[in-house]
Amino acid sequence: MERYGAGYLEERKLIARAPGLIPGLVSLVLVLAVFYATWWIFQDPRGYFRMYTPYVGYMYCRWWLVMMIWMVYLFDLYPFKRVWLEKSHPITKGIVLTSVSVVILLILIKGFFEFLLGNFGLAYFNPAQLEKLPGITSFFAIEYACLAILMFAAISSWLSPAWVIAFEKAPWANLKQPVLGFTLLAVTFFLSTIVYFVTMHSHMGILYQPWQYFTSIAPPYWENFADTVSGNFHIAWIMCCTVVIWLVETIWQRYPFNLIKNDNLRRISLFIGIIAIALAINFFLYFAQELTWGEAIRGTRREHSPDWRWLHVGEMAIFWLVPALVLSFYFNNWPNKFSMPVNVAVRTIITLVGAVVLYIVYYKTSHLFLGTQKGFSHPQQFPMIPMIWLVNIMLVHHWFMDNWPMWKMVPKTSDEIAAEHAHEAEVLEDERPTRSYGWGIGAGVVAGVAVFFVVVAILPSMYAAIDIIS
Amino acid sequence: MTTSFDRRTFLKGATTGVGLGVIGAMGLYSYSPLRKAHFPEVERKMTEIGTIKSLKVINISETSWFDNGILTGDIKHAGGLLVDQYLYNWPPFGNGKGLGKGSYEEGIAKIKQYLPHDLEKAWEIIEKECINVDNAGGFAALLEIEEMDGNKRKFLLDTGWSYKWMDECFKREGIDTMLRNGEIEALIISHEHFDHYWGLPVTLKYAPDIPIYIPEGFYKEGLQYIKDSGHTGQLTELKNGLNKIIPGVATYVFPVPIICRVFGEQSIYCNIKDKGLVSVTGCCHQGIIQFAETAYNELKYEKDNFYGIYGGLHISPFDDWDPKYDDLVISLANYDFDMIGCNHCTGLVCANKFIDAGYPVIQGTAQHRSKDTAYLGNGDTITFG
Repeated sequence: MERYGAGYLEERKLIARAPGLIPGLVSLVLVLAVFYATWWIFQDPRGYFRMYTPYVGYMYCRWWLVMMIWMVYLFDLYPFKRVWLEKSHPITKGIVLTSVSVVILLILIKGFFEFLLGNFGLAYFNPAQLEKLPGITSFFAIEYACLAILMFAAISSWLSPAWVIAFEKAPWANLKQPVLGFTLLAVTFFLSTIVYFVTMHSHMGILYQPWQYFTSIAPPYWENFADTVSGNFHIAWIMCCTVVIWLVETIWQRYPFNLIKNDNLRRISLFIGIIAIALAINFFLYFAQELTWGEAIRGTRREHSPDWRWLHVGEMAIFWLVPALVLSFYFNNWPNKFSMPVNVAVRTIITLVGAVVLYIVYYKTSHLFLGTQKGFSHPQQFPMIPMIWLVNIMLVHHWFMDNWPMWKMVPKTSDEIAAEHAHEAEVLEDERPTRSYGWGIGAGVVAGVAVFFVVVAILPSMYAAIDIIS
Repeated sequence: MTTSFDRRTFLKGATTGVGLGVIGAMGLYSYSPLRKAHFPEVERKMTEIGTIKSLKVINISETSWFDNGILTGDIKHAGGLLVDQYLYNWPPFGNGKGLGKGSYEEGIAKIKQYLPHDLEKAWEIIEKECINVDNAGGFAALLEIEEMDGNKRKFLLDTGWSYKWMDECFKREGIDTMLRNGEIEALIISHEHFDHYWGLPVTLKYAPDIPIYIPEGFYKEGLQYIKDSGHTGQLTELKNGLNKIIPGVATYVFPVPIICRVFGEQSIYCNIKDKGLVSVTGCCHQGIIQFAETAYNELKYEKDNFYGIYGGLHISPFDDWDPKYDDLVISLANYDFDMIGCNHCTGLVCANKFIDAGYPVIQGTAQHRSKDTAYLGNGDTITFG
């Protein structure tokens, strides 16, 4: 039976062509070089296509990410046959699979959103429809449409992988491709549509004067809780969900949810757990801004406005995703020698430090080479764009090109796969909770709460000690 | 499940528990009302800047550009709102290579020899080398300050964009004569944006030695332009924060990033005796509420009252909109301004929302190419005090 890419990522053995950290470091340099070259060609305001308007570039960037998730996680790289995936040169695979992702991307944006929805459903998905309205210029018609389309992508980039990672494709996991892919696509797209309407549609509805009371809830229901009518409130937690789902999948190895034996309980716990963790991060990152920049003031601009701070929550979360993927893709998810909780804890600390360093370096230097403006809160500037663009390049490299050239892909033998599954089962068995584990949890929770308050206490002085933007 | 205590298992549980504890505390505490206990009490500095008797603002020009469609079309085709303003090939920095392919150096080289004495000749070259020359307008306002002893002092806030348009406006309002006679003490540049700053040679044509105040944050091109325009007077770069200018008048420099690669803006506080504080802005990219909050935290002003606003409030300059601007419209009520004189980058959509919300917006006459009576237009005046 043709399996296409089902299980391909897990069943490939990447053999490093050099010892130690060299493959990872060289790959990182290569990826950054490709990132910068493609950034200049497509996104940079001084470059060739100058898509960073910002929303045009942002929209394509985000949907390209979703396209790759669809291809790899939902469709198992269907219709590409397993033998082609295993035998083709990584460059060939990279070019072909990237091209396919871009074609689907263009069909989705131009065909589905702009033509279908924009002409027969909601005008704000189509710039040409918006331009018919008095007072709306072509530039902002495009920006508004791109904003709406990219907001949909933000939701989709959370829910599409969530069904695969959290729900383990249940209850359709045994379906064949492409039926499985289309089923997962239909379900996750349907859910994304619902979430879009209850989180983002009202944002679009109040973009026009007068507010569109007849077609959207205005002012939005979250106004008092979020201290803003802006949909950035939702962008914040949804972005955190997007990030957490990949943390769970990579550096956390689904721990501790993988300790739950009951399938349905594990799946539901993980799906809800991702949202719960994301909300916790979401509220903390907002609080962190209050601790460093002072309380938000509704109606003001930049660092002090609640809407920007919610947006910045999502931006800060993205800074965590990059080191997590780097550690997972290029450094074999180091460390692996300890118990699972300790491995997870060490990776969490490493990637958090990496995120903080990346954040500081980004705001200190990005305006010198990305064509962006210095400062935290330029209203038309989104660090999510370069970060997601970098993630996209890494995904092309890792998913489509098997980390070439510093690694060589060799399919694992059936014995190796069986041994690996046995080892995973053994590790999980070793992690089964005991009474001592329970006592440890209790003590750890107390310590964790203490850690939280220590961080809260020192955060303002830590921030004050670092001159990020002079 | 074993019943004996195992240290290694305990530590594994503890490691997991730390994560749970941190995440739990983050989720339950971070956005709860309890978190407010961590915010330091902000003590008002109550810095004295003195008082003035009255302030009259003459709107020399608020039409920074004449057609939103043309300007945003340029922005769209050049690559969006982050493109460096000196690359557009907008007047006066044209090199004839077309939209988005300009540079300060190439543009200024073609006109430098004519600045500031022969702006007509410079403009002839600009018309050949730049794009959409006729769309350029500019923002400038004259501040007439009456001191407590009745003495009147004048300051120019910004100097517009198009040499041709600004010269017409200066002549219409008699600014040319005031500059020539030395009646205007100084030129205060709010920020480096094209529509507020690039008309500098028009001011220097009449008063090349006029003292100039700029905010910290100008790029090298902007600083060079002052020299290349033929300025011979004193240049003062005001640092971020409060800067007293004369008794009763101060500027405040905000280190804010702004579209088209500009950084930093200063706005003006005037403390009117027995009335309150008036905020005068060029574009107010920092936000009018930020400006008011800063005043509240930093200054002591009459009756602790926000008396008025004049200027561009940078809300919807292209008649674009965003829900965050609704936050501003809703929240402005908390500051209880007695008079709101807005124009330029406030945007027509916003001015109408202010009016609909019942704010005391001083309406204009829509003359000299200003578009609407919803706000103060070219040639209109407003007096505080």
